[in-house]
Amino acid sequence: MQTKIICIGNRLKAQDAAALHIHDLLQNQSLPKTINLIEGGLAGLNLLPLLEDGGRIVFVDTVSGFAEPGKTVVLSAKQVVDTLATEYYDHTAGLPYLLAALPLVCDGAMPDEILLLGIEDYSQNEPANEDSLLLEAASIALELAKNGFTKPQQKY
Amino acid sequence: MTIIAKRINIPVNRAEGDLEISVEIENGIITDAWSSGTMFRGFEEMMVGRGPLDGLVITPRICGICSLTHLNAAVEALDKIAGITPPDNALRLRNIALMVETMQSDLRQAILMFMADFANHKSYANHPLFAEAATRYKPLAGKSALSVIKESKRLLEIIAIIGGQWPHTSFMVPGGVTFRPEIAELLQCRMIYSHFLNWYEEKILGCSLAKWQSINSCTELDTWLEEAPSHANSEVGFFIRFARQAGLEKIGVGTNSFLSYGSLRLPRESAISGSDGHFMKAGFSEKAVIGHLDQELISEDLSRTWYKSQHLPLHPADGETIPYASGNDNGRYSWIKAPRYNGIAAETGPLAEAVIGNDKLFKDLLKIQGPNVMVRELARLLRPAKLLPVMMTWFDELITNRHETFYTKVKEIPDGSGVGMIQAARGALGHWVEIRNQSISRYQIITPTAWNGSPRDESGQRGPWEEALIGTPIKDEQNPIEAGHVVRSFDPCLVCAVHTVKKQKKVGHFKLGI
Repeated sequence: MQTKIICIGNRLKAQDAAALHIHDLLQNQSLPKTINLIEGGLAGLNLLPLLEDGGRIVFVDTVSGFAEPGKTVVLSAKQVVDTLATEYYDHTAGLPYLLAALPLVCDGAMPDEILLLGIEDYSQNEPANEDSLLLEAASIALELAKNGFTKPQQKY
Repeated sequence: MTIIAKRINIPVNRAEGDLEISVEIENGIITDAWSSGTMFRGFEEMMVGRGPLDGLVITPRICGICSLTHLNAAVEALDKIAGITPPDNALRLRNIALMVETMQSDLRQAILMFMADFANHKSYANHPLFAEAATRYKPLAGKSALSVIKESKRLLEIIAIIGGQWPHTSFMVPGGVTFRPEIAELLQCRMIYSHFLNWYEEKILGCSLAKWQSINSCTELDTWLEEAPSHANSEVGFFIRFARQAGLEKIGVGTNSFLSYGSLRLPRESAISGSDGHFMKAGFSEKAVIGHLDQELISEDLSRTWYKSQHLPLHPADGETIPYASGNDNGRYSWIKAPRYNGIAAETGPLAEAVIGNDKLFKDLLKIQGPNVMVRELARLLRPAKLLPVMMTWFDELITNRHETFYTKVKEIPDGSGVGMIQAARGALGHWVEIRNQSISRYQIITPTAWNGSPRDESGQRGPWEEALIGTPIKDEQNPIEAGHVVRSFDPCLVCAVHTVKKQKKVGHFKLGI
């Protein structure tokens, strides 16, 4: 199955940069040809064109309130959309808005599976643990990209 | 007589915490206002010591909304330091990318952010056009809301094609662009363009571009509005009808001074003409008198900001960004600096471009009504009508001249200084760059929101949207929609926030104090 790993966040804000660090780690690996690694950054709604080719999408982002600090969690698209604070669009519209809008405006094939690998409370992480957390999360992202995930919420 | 004065905070950016607007209300009218950027960004400090080309990679990541715009400003500064004029084809591609990002932003802001408030039951349940507004603009459901997401999404494919990748393309480099599109790719871009043009004419204007461009006065606008149902029911027609009945042409005057850096550098050989080498004219206007722009007259006043301040405002090429304090001591209340032009707070954005460009329709609208929320937002909704014909010409010129170069070799970026000044979707954007010993020694950015959302300066002069709020009537202090309209008409953007998926649903906070 064709898969995209889309790492989102703000590279210039330490507390929101975890997914971009994971992007950089994965970029230095030899990935299977079926996996397309993308730096989604702050593109928000502008990521829509990447979500219209079917296949599996693994987002990687920081999350808050789903697990213990420094842990990772896997969420379904519905769980992400359920966090939408407002249906109003603004410049800060993030992943929940993107995934809420997707089925309403998709012109191509909807993804077969959408997952979010969340890194909880990255800013509270001890610097000493940072490298191992990021390496572990990169490994999980790759595993999800290869094999998907069917359980609704799994804490690693 | 008892005057009731209250200080309230207005939830402008809905879920964003980086901008706080406080207003003082006396007898239902705003009498004073303070705009505060609450987050220290400090991008300029991140740049110091890095390689000369790093600005091309880092500054586009400042903002997800206008990343190409930052790339464009950064590369123009480096072109100047290198003493290079990029080839015509490179200028055409850069301009097309900038226009795509601008048009996409204009239409999303107008329909998804500004007109979405028309569908707010709490604010407009009694408005005669509320039911129609709800069918158009209800978030994630209204037909216009979904349509603009779809069409702006398709338009972006042009950037993916000419930029070689999406997102985070870095195809603009000193000396030109890195990518020479195939003819087939240019034709594909033109097809996407044509689809968008048809949609814009049918849904946004309700008439052809040619018909729209024949409207040069307020009287002709009113005639156009009444002469066909397709005009009255277009997004422009509906906006005007709704806005007039909501009184939006009576609020949000502002400073009545306007600034445009000019934009869209003209190829040396092109059917498109302009002024001073740009399609979009540069200039400064105060009280309807338009003058030449002299960038040496730009300065940044820090006296009410939380930065270490020199005793005189400095030109951005000499400016510093040293975080100094928080709290409200000595009247400091914002992380946004206060840019001034010759000491004057100036509005920037699509209305400023129309004013500086001497647009006949907007000149007449301002003459009759003065600056206001309706005319400011109308300028944004109509800016694509100015850009679309130019874009088509540049596509055709690219197809004809594809055999010519897209890049002039730049061996290295020498020591020196330069500035990239362009018009972003929200207005004047400048990158002032200095290179010493093959690394960045100074980098200053003034964003459009710094111009429009600036705090007071040493003389106490308010920033543009602070000033625009004065005199605004507030019917319901629990839902100050009028103030929201005023600020949102400037399209504030402080988007470099942390975007985290949070488990708990956010609840809007509204503070009321005396």
